[in-house]
Amino acid sequence: MEQPRSDEDQQLVARTQNGEAAAFDQLVVKYTPRLYGLVYNMTSNHEDTNDLLQDVFSKAYKSIGGFRGKSSFYTWIHSIAVNMTLNFLKKRGRRFHLSLDDMDASVQNDKEFLELTATSSPVREADLSELQRRLNEAMMKLSDEHRAVVTMFHIQGMPHAEISKILRVSEGTVRSRLFYANRQLQNYLEEFRKNPVS
Amino acid sequence: MNQFNEDEIGKLLRLKKFEQPPPAYFDNFLHEFHRRQRDELLRQPLWRICLQRAQDFMFRLNVRTLASYPVAVTAVLICAAVISLKIYQTPQAEKVATVNRAPVIATTTIQDSNWSLSNPTATRDFGPTLVRTVKDSSHTHRATTTRYVLDSTPVSYEPALRF
Repeated sequence: MEQPRSDEDQQLVARTQNGEAAAFDQLVVKYTPRLYGLVYNMTSNHEDTNDLLQDVFSKAYKSIGGFRGKSSFYTWIHSIAVNMTLNFLKKRGRRFHLSLDDMDASVQNDKEFLELTATSSPVREADLSELQRRLNEAMMKLSDEHRAVVTMFHIQGMPHAEISKILRVSEGTVRSRLFYANRQLQNYLEEFRKNPVS
Repeated sequence: MNQFNEDEIGKLLRLKKFEQPPPAYFDNFLHEFHRRQRDELLRQPLWRICLQRAQDFMFRLNVRTLASYPVAVTAVLICAAVISLKIYQTPQAEKVATVNRAPVIATTTIQDSNWSLSNPTATRDFGPTLVRTVKDSSHTHRATTTRYVLDSTPVSYEPALRF
């Protein structure tokens, strides 16, 4: 996923800091889809995602006066979102249910999806909703920290360096978490590979 | 058949980006955000609203930078005033001396032969009879309270003037 231009963000942040609330609205509009994807894929629940995202922007608005631009706004707002989501997941524990958004119909035309259906028989045999359910269940079996890394790297397409800045850990830690998470996902999806339709 | 490899895992997970909320969700998000902000404001106690308004006002005026120089100058002036007041209020030490402040060594007649180079702090050997503290002298005059003595006036126990 392409990172937005930081000078544009800087201008909007400066205007917000000067009391122009409309500038912050532009930041909200710009970052909502991106942050929605991040939070949603960490929670696998649409309602929780909505509440969390509102809280994330509310917190960002309250603390934007203290934002000094040491990191980009992109990194800063993602850090807030990840930290708040991780705190929420700790409180939520294991009592949750999947509340999944529908898969967009355009997935049928996606190049990677077409490749997968051509090469992988489980993906070809399972219907889309089944595939979605299996993927989400496998994701939710990961620890919160591993899921965060997987979401940012695989789904959001962020580079390791950016993830390390957001999580405030070393790039080595990001890579090792990713490696471990991939291994676990391979195991969790093994049943799906063997038995695509259950 | 082998497990899904890492590349396939990545491709499978990337399909999750097609999971999207209802179409109008993002359009309504901002309105919902504004509504929640207003609700939050109404739920706050009055003192917090006032505090926030004051903070916003200060923040817009950028009081921090405006106030830095005047505040520093005021602090320096206050310090200077306090110090000068203290200096002017203390009694003038060169005109009045208290007797019982510290033992004073009276040196009256000392032979040149008593000088020595051995110890820089106590180079004179006064001898037991020549060393007299003020405390001793106060006993001779039966003074029970603190006495103030003018420096310029010879003390009564000093050798009397010879006419």
